[in-house]
Amino acid sequence: MLGYALWRLLQAAISVFGVITIVFVVMHFSGDPTLLLVPQGASAEQIETLRHQLGFDQPVWVQYLAYLGGLLQGDFGQSVVQRAPAFGIVLSRLPYTIELAIGALIVAIGVGLPVGMLMATYRGTALERALAAVVLTGQSVPTFLSGILLIMVFAVQLHWLPTSGVGDVRFLVMPSIALGALSMSTFARMTRIAMVDELGKDYVRAALARGLSMRAVVLRHVLRNSAIPVITIAALEIGNLLAGAVIVETVFAWPGIGQLAIQSIQSRDFLVVQVIVLLISFIYVATSVAADFAYAAIDPRIRLAR
Amino acid sequence: MLRLLAATTLAMGLLAAPVLAQDAKDTLTIDLPNDAATLDPHLQWDTDSYTIYRNIFDNLVTRDAAGEIVPQIATKWSYENDTTLDFDIRDDVTFHDGSKLTADDVAFSINRIIDPALKSPQFSQFSPIDKAEAVSPTKVRITTKSPYPAMLAQLVKLSIVPKAYLEKVGDQGFNAKPVGSGPYKLVDHQQGVRTDLEANADYWRGKPPFAHVTFRAVPDVSTRIADLKTGQADLVRDVPPDQAISLKDDPSVQILSVATERVGYMYMNAQSGPTKDARVRQAIAYAIDQQGLIDALLQGYGKPVNIIGAPPVFGYTDAVEGYAYDPDKARELVKEAGAEGAKIEFLTSPSYNRALVEALQQMINDAGLDTEITSTDQATFLKRRQGDPANAGSVAIGRWSCACQDADGIIYPLFRTGSTWAKYSNPDFDAAVDAARSTLDEAERLKDYKTAYEILRTDVPGIGLYQDFAVYGANPHLTWQPTPNESMFVMDMAWKN
Repeated sequence: MLGYALWRLLQAAISVFGVITIVFVVMHFSGDPTLLLVPQGASAEQIETLRHQLGFDQPVWVQYLAYLGGLLQGDFGQSVVQRAPAFGIVLSRLPYTIELAIGALIVAIGVGLPVGMLMATYRGTALERALAAVVLTGQSVPTFLSGILLIMVFAVQLHWLPTSGVGDVRFLVMPSIALGALSMSTFARMTRIAMVDELGKDYVRAALARGLSMRAVVLRHVLRNSAIPVITIAALEIGNLLAGAVIVETVFAWPGIGQLAIQSIQSRDFLVVQVIVLLISFIYVATSVAADFAYAAIDPRIRLAR
Repeated sequence: MLRLLAATTLAMGLLAAPVLAQDAKDTLTIDLPNDAATLDPHLQWDTDSYTIYRNIFDNLVTRDAAGEIVPQIATKWSYENDTTLDFDIRDDVTFHDGSKLTADDVAFSINRIIDPALKSPQFSQFSPIDKAEAVSPTKVRITTKSPYPAMLAQLVKLSIVPKAYLEKVGDQGFNAKPVGSGPYKLVDHQQGVRTDLEANADYWRGKPPFAHVTFRAVPDVSTRIADLKTGQADLVRDVPPDQAISLKDDPSVQILSVATERVGYMYMNAQSGPTKDARVRQAIAYAIDQQGLIDALLQGYGKPVNIIGAPPVFGYTDAVEGYAYDPDKARELVKEAGAEGAKIEFLTSPSYNRALVEALQQMINDAGLDTEITSTDQATFLKRRQGDPANAGSVAIGRWSCACQDADGIIYPLFRTGSTWAKYSNPDFDAAVDAARSTLDEAERLKDYKTAYEILRTDVPGIGLYQDFAVYGANPHLTWQPTPNESMFVMDMAWKN
């Protein structure tokens, strides 16, 4: 078990290292922030001066080694745009991203699971078709559109919710729905497939033949057995929700790391981007490890196999 | 862990609630696309940052509503000789920490920017300055390396920082907790989220118009406009023309606009590709229907221009003729140059109006050329546009402003040999703009710029497309006159009675 855990950690470290290297190289070859920082009228000489002062005139590999050297000492470097430590900048945005991810996850699971269960249980009925339309909508409407539509209806027309920004829980409602919609559909579909699969098995027929109600069979047996694939999806979705909120964060002026990532890439604020990439890689690794543990907790066979 | 997060979330919500409850009439809320990169006024040069920090800091000199340079911290100034400029400094100004603003602080602010150790992006604006020194507590002497006529225009952008405080807390400390002498004090800066300011009750120019001012970072323009409609924001800038037109009938919003010093222009590569032939460049100039672009795409928020420059700019001249729309002549010139069907690469990025780019593409194609649009992100665009001529595309558009209202800040960087933007070289043009840069004689300078603009008309390394308008959406109860240099001083705004 320990050996396996160490192996997984090493794998994770190698992939994180690969990711930061690729991002570093790609970003540096597509221009540096100097031209974006100076006023339009700066002369060639002045641009070169600033580039030199900021160290962007060094060969990429020198900058890369310097970066790795700093990293080994726990120094993530400075943002050239904000003139502050890159790590602190990203960290200050993390609570917003987590808050939004939790909101979206509540929407996704709170709506997705019941919808999936109902669709599996009432297969072939009008209810399933109606719910399928909901799932399809959640899956196919792009967030930049659903976001603006939500704002237009609930903020501009009805004045129920604030249009954008952060604050009390009312600010969280629309971004959570916009961000959670896609995950909701994924949860609903996966739950439905897993349950339909289980419902067709012999033990369900046997249980029903014994005279148990459908309700009891579903709640006592089917749900537990359908949980494994749903947990896998949940782990992936948490990663997605934490890392993939760029558009929602932009539309709702939600100051999370997705928005910061886009702005930092656009302004070539290299070291901030690197911290974000590191963080997101870490989140993906952590959630997939957490999912492994969750399997073991739910399914004794997995525990035995190790 | 989850419980901790939930608690954090809840706490964040509770903390933010009182801010919302604040009386809206007390607070002016301005939505900007981005937060200030830094609140240290010397560490960046971008519109969102200075829109915010200029309310915290005072400027040495400023411009009045008519665009004239007028006193602010300096009461008057005079040239001792061509390279020495003396300023008298007010003696009744205090910083927010109670310390007095003196000539020492003014000299320190200038010397700080021109010190290479600060790595200030504003260095280029002040680099002609050799040094600044306080000759008495109320007198500052600025020495330039050579005569520099745009000096005052550049000093409009100088924010004064407190020397003693800054030296005490250091650059990092100052950036986190800036102290200025302006009409507003910093209350709270949540990086990337919002900046909250409160009125400086002892401000030397009088009581500021709002008790609180909040700047919010709202990246999406549709969201900014929704904020405006719901009253969550009182002022937003850069309203796209089509949105401005549709908002005109909305009683919950007023549209404010002004013709600015900014000029929309098209650059043409005179050193590489088909546009190396002056006839092709002239053809493109003739192919463009300025009025058509302004009416159809800018919804009238623009004015035709004859040159790359607009009336608020020193050096502007109406004596140089523009290129009138003449598609037949354009086709003729293309034929004459044997350039029919030649590939014109149109460089652009999402920072530029895509509809405008496509309309121009159509117009250029109508002249018999074959235009291909290459769109990249802004960093890549600038790298190519300001790089090697062979790789700088054939044409590109831009919206130029030096925020200094002087032709020196426009055509010098755009076309002077050796400038990163110039894909053009003409010794006569260089001589004219160099001469205009090295004398303080205004009549002499105007003559030089007229010569320079005449040369540009013949060579067409670029043409003016329109004088840009600044378009703002505002709360209908707000009174404010936007300015040609696009500054947003809260001190100039007020609620209507």
